[in-house]
Amino acid sequence: MKAWIGLKRMGGAAAVILAGNLLLAQGAAYVRSHYDKQEAMVPMRDGTRLFTAIYTPRDHGRPYPFLLERTPYGVGPYGPDQVKDDLGPCALFGQEGFIFVYQDVRGKRMSEGTFQDMTPALPHTGDPAQVDESTDTFDTVAWLLRHVPNHNGRAGQWGVSYPGFYAAAALIDAHPAMKAVSPQGPIVDWFMGDDFHRNGALWLPHLFNYIAEYGLSRPHPAGEEPPPFHHGTRDGYAFFLDLGPLANANARYFKGAIPFWNDVMAHGTYDAYWQVRNLRPHLRDVRPAVLTVGGWFDAENLFGTLQTYQALAEQSPGTDQRLVMGPWDHGGWSYLPGASLGAVTFGGSPSEFFQTRMEFPFFMHYLKDAPDPGLPRAYVFETGANRWLPMDAWPPRTLRRTDLFFETRARLGFTRPAKDGFDAYPSDPARPVPYYNGITIGMAREYMAADQRFAGRRPDVLSYRTEPLKADLTLAGPIQADLWVSTSGTDSDWVVKVIDGYPEDLAEADGAAPMAGYQQLVRGEAMRGKFRESFEHPEPFVPGRPTEVKFTLNDVCHTFLKGHRLVVQVQSSWFPLMDRNPQVFTDIYQAREADFHAAEEHLYHSPGLPSHLVLPVLP
Amino acid sequence: MNPRPWLLALAACLPLPAQGVAYLEAHYRKQEVRIPMRDGVLLFTAIYTPREPGPFPVLLNRTPYGIGPYGEDAFPEQLGPSEELARDGFIFVYQDVRGKMMSEGAFREMTPLLDGRGVDEATDAWDTIEWILKQVPGHNGRVGAWGISYPGFYAACALVGAHPALKAVSPQAPISDLFAGDDDHHNGALFLAQTFWFDGVYAMPRPQPTSLEPEPPAFTRFHPDGYQFFLDLGPLPHADARFFHGQVQVWTDEMAHGADDAYWQARDLRPHLKDIRPAVLTVGGWFDPEDLFGTLQVHQRAALRDVLVMGPWDHGGWSEGDGDRLGDARFGSATAAYYRAQVEAPFFRHHLKGAPDPGLPKALVFETGTNQWRRFSAWPPPGVQPTPLYLQEGGGLGFQAPRAASGEDAFVGDPAHPVPYTAGTEAQVSSAFMVEDQRFAARRPDVLVYQTPVLTAAVTVAGPVQARLQVSTRGTDADWVVKLIDVLPGEAGDPEPAGGGNLGGTLGGCQRLVRAEVMRGKFRRSLETPEPFAPGQPTPVTFTLNDICHTFRPGHRIMVQIQSSWFPLVDRNPQVFMDIYHARDQDFRRAEHRVYRNAALPSCIILPVLNTTKNLHGKNMVK
Repeated sequence: MKAWIGLKRMGGAAAVILAGNLLLAQGAAYVRSHYDKQEAMVPMRDGTRLFTAIYTPRDHGRPYPFLLERTPYGVGPYGPDQVKDDLGPCALFGQEGFIFVYQDVRGKRMSEGTFQDMTPALPHTGDPAQVDESTDTFDTVAWLLRHVPNHNGRAGQWGVSYPGFYAAAALIDAHPAMKAVSPQGPIVDWFMGDDFHRNGALWLPHLFNYIAEYGLSRPHPAGEEPPPFHHGTRDGYAFFLDLGPLANANARYFKGAIPFWNDVMAHGTYDAYWQVRNLRPHLRDVRPAVLTVGGWFDAENLFGTLQTYQALAEQSPGTDQRLVMGPWDHGGWSYLPGASLGAVTFGGSPSEFFQTRMEFPFFMHYLKDAPDPGLPRAYVFETGANRWLPMDAWPPRTLRRTDLFFETRARLGFTRPAKDGFDAYPSDPARPVPYYNGITIGMAREYMAADQRFAGRRPDVLSYRTEPLKADLTLAGPIQADLWVSTSGTDSDWVVKVIDGYPEDLAEADGAAPMAGYQQLVRGEAMRGKFRESFEHPEPFVPGRPTEVKFTLNDVCHTFLKGHRLVVQVQSSWFPLMDRNPQVFTDIYQAREADFHAAEEHLYHSPGLPSHLVLPVLP
Repeated sequence: MNPRPWLLALAACLPLPAQGVAYLEAHYRKQEVRIPMRDGVLLFTAIYTPREPGPFPVLLNRTPYGIGPYGEDAFPEQLGPSEELARDGFIFVYQDVRGKMMSEGAFREMTPLLDGRGVDEATDAWDTIEWILKQVPGHNGRVGAWGISYPGFYAACALVGAHPALKAVSPQAPISDLFAGDDDHHNGALFLAQTFWFDGVYAMPRPQPTSLEPEPPAFTRFHPDGYQFFLDLGPLPHADARFFHGQVQVWTDEMAHGADDAYWQARDLRPHLKDIRPAVLTVGGWFDPEDLFGTLQVHQRAALRDVLVMGPWDHGGWSEGDGDRLGDARFGSATAAYYRAQVEAPFFRHHLKGAPDPGLPKALVFETGTNQWRRFSAWPPPGVQPTPLYLQEGGGLGFQAPRAASGEDAFVGDPAHPVPYTAGTEAQVSSAFMVEDQRFAARRPDVLVYQTPVLTAAVTVAGPVQARLQVSTRGTDADWVVKLIDVLPGEAGDPEPAGGGNLGGTLGGCQRLVRAEVMRGKFRRSLETPEPFAPGQPTPVTFTLNDICHTFRPGHRIMVQIQSSWFPLVDRNPQVFMDIYHARDQDFRRAEHRVYRNAALPSCIILPVLNTTKNLHGKNMVK
């Protein structure tokens, strides 16, 4: 989420440089000459007033729909004379004409009230004391319809990242005027898979760096950005290793002054604190049309994106909803051309295709009665082959779940192993496996497609590969990891990385990075071992006893081209992306330095203990 | 000894408008001749004579890499070691050595010197000079010679029983001993990536004289990733089975001589460097991954007549470009341009043309860390204090010997996952690894890391560094790699001297490699007679890291990393005592190694500390 903010700040200039004419940011001068801005304190049902900036087209010749964004990151620039450089999700909207509404959520920046992270959704009984993001959105829409002239009676909402969560929350018991909502990179569950944890393992620099700035308590409404945190180094691996046990964060830096950090440290399992912050159960009977948007390489809320779509598909089958997944990092669809991540390129301008062919027509249809763009149920970008695939379902109905077994001698195969065997590797919390082959203080967004050769060279990483593929192999959907493992300790993390191994004799494309032999991360996921049976009730490993550890890697849509290899790496740390496991069963958030121990890990590949992945193969 | 495409590279960057083919055509005549040696073999020689009236001195370069462009009408982009000298006017003589390119005869790797008992490179140089003096008009009776890398070896050979007309010789990055420390091996450990690539291109058979440069065979450019390529190669016998097929004599010889036997001893240049009469300018780079050893060794043997120049350069880096950077290291000035204009050209002018003595010191060396040229009356400088820096518990490094009765650190060397020598994925060795940030290695479980506290005073080290380890291994052989590292300060930054650039950002905390060396454990007592380790038994392993001239500045730390592989720079040790060049897959074993650091078994590195300030005594240097 932090990274999104950073991108947003530089986004205007970048867009101007990269965009075609149609998609150029309007610029403040355009906004000033075409829109009137007003700032209002909009009262909620409990009397709390939320700071809201409203940009109304100066051309009063026709009515306009509302397009709303609600955010914890500020609706600046503040002041009725100060205007944004661009309005709406992309440049097409400002040129078309909407009433753009930006609101500071409860407790943030210039709004009154108390901020809660991932505001729990409440039953909507009509009690004015029972407020959540859904009621705040409802109240805001109702107020706008009454107080802002020249509207057409319809409202839409979008938001990326945390604002994507607020957009998704708007779907619940939505105001009847709310017709179309696009949650983009939304958070749904901060313990299971978004931003700060993956299967209960802490995403350390992402949380730490974000919370060190955005987690500070706000004594009173204020327009300023939070003060920056200084690490004293750009080397995140060194900084977080030196930090030691997580308890040192408060001792050395936060001094107990960051409520959300304290909450995370106090809730080391999937307890009530986290369960009430899970948005998914509330996504039922949704009436607005929904366009859920995300990136295959979104290091933050890929889980939330897929889960929002999935929860609606399962719990709200009547909802008019669609999914768009492109080759983007977090929020990458907002920036042109959105055609590369690190050394990996995707061709064309996926962002322009999305903005002009999906996002803009979606809102135009539902808010302005433009023709139905006929979007498929799922429009997904097939990485590897680099093309858009229209689908009538996601995951595709035709996929075949195919077992891929770990074998001896670092091989992978499609048949169950015939002989007993295992591979051993050490895991030393004093020398955890880096998640990225570079020096960075934050979560490098490029890690999601980065070359994994640096990891395969380590003795604490198991690396398996197929022979070069004789035909293209397309995976479309979630990947299951079904490992049989043991550890000499009583807890351990298990990281599985699915990698596209490029051919060694690949010719270099002009001007592109040399990709021959590259091992591109396609999908990686972690499971904190003690949660393998239950996230609420962790349990230890019995040292040395083979134990099944199953978990799901987020969906992919990727083609391993003919001649490439499928490579899988298994390791027990991923640092500092993920905090270190002491490898002793304990509440890790209260662990001391002395609790951290090296362990020996085994991965079995026997007829009776057949570690494997279940691949979603698209025939 | 990788030949660099000197002329092509210079053409590409067009150093000075005055040079180039047109300039040389206008100012020089070219003739090609075949000069008879005393045994009748004809060596192909190109002679470029100034069109102006002379007389001029002769400047000779003998090379195995070809003296093209061939043809009397074809001129190169540059003549001589630098454009300065070509503008001065010399008779430039280039010669294909015996058995290479257009010359007759048979090539021999590092032609053994026979000290007057037969034909060798010394006699070929002598015969060539003699022929030139007799046959080429317009000379002034004085001859110089120079060469870089393998040609540096040929230049050094010319010193042995030198022709009386040979007045000045500059061996630059010369090879001295391919088993002890240059190119192919360091302390008996094979420098795999360099050797394999070199042999595969430059040691392919040449059935008859040819003017065609060797074409790199497909396999030398097959894999983009050296680490993966050489790991997939497996045991070294696979190289012949898969690629060389017995056709590459040099590789065959290397594989047949896995110890410092008569084959290698005959090829050791050093014993022959005595009674030197010409003036000598030995030149090398602190970051030359190929022949740093040879440079320093030739200087030692030729010291009486020698001026040593050591700059912050890679292999041949002084001969082109500015020399102000390598990788992400910055040196603050155009060190190479300075050398060419202020050192090399005045040296040859003085000795060959009677120009005034430039007054060069015995050692002109660049001090890295502070980025300044130092002038010393000897190398290593007089007054350096051998100062032990001990491995301590908890990853510490300090000037106090350990007092505890026990203390050791263990790690596992796994030949299936050797420690990379670089964080990159290049197919071939890039010399930038010599200054590379070692954080990628420090993060591994199979690398031991020791560092001092933050230095409160500068520590200047000038000379060779010795590693004195007490170790044991569970196997019967192991390699020991010791890396000396300068840890840069963190984000607070480090005001770099002499405009060397900002070290903030991701270079904050950088673990800059200063010097590293490997010892193949079985050779710890003798390169000639390897011996196994007794599993688990503490054993001293002592070896020398090539010289440095480096200041660890206040605010920095000194770090030492120890590991048992350095791949694919160095081939893998099976960790079982044997002839590694005949090892099979199943011979390679994981092994646990220990480095001791206690009162009875202390391990240390010994730094030659130059006491430039009075308070630099041991513990005062660190907080």
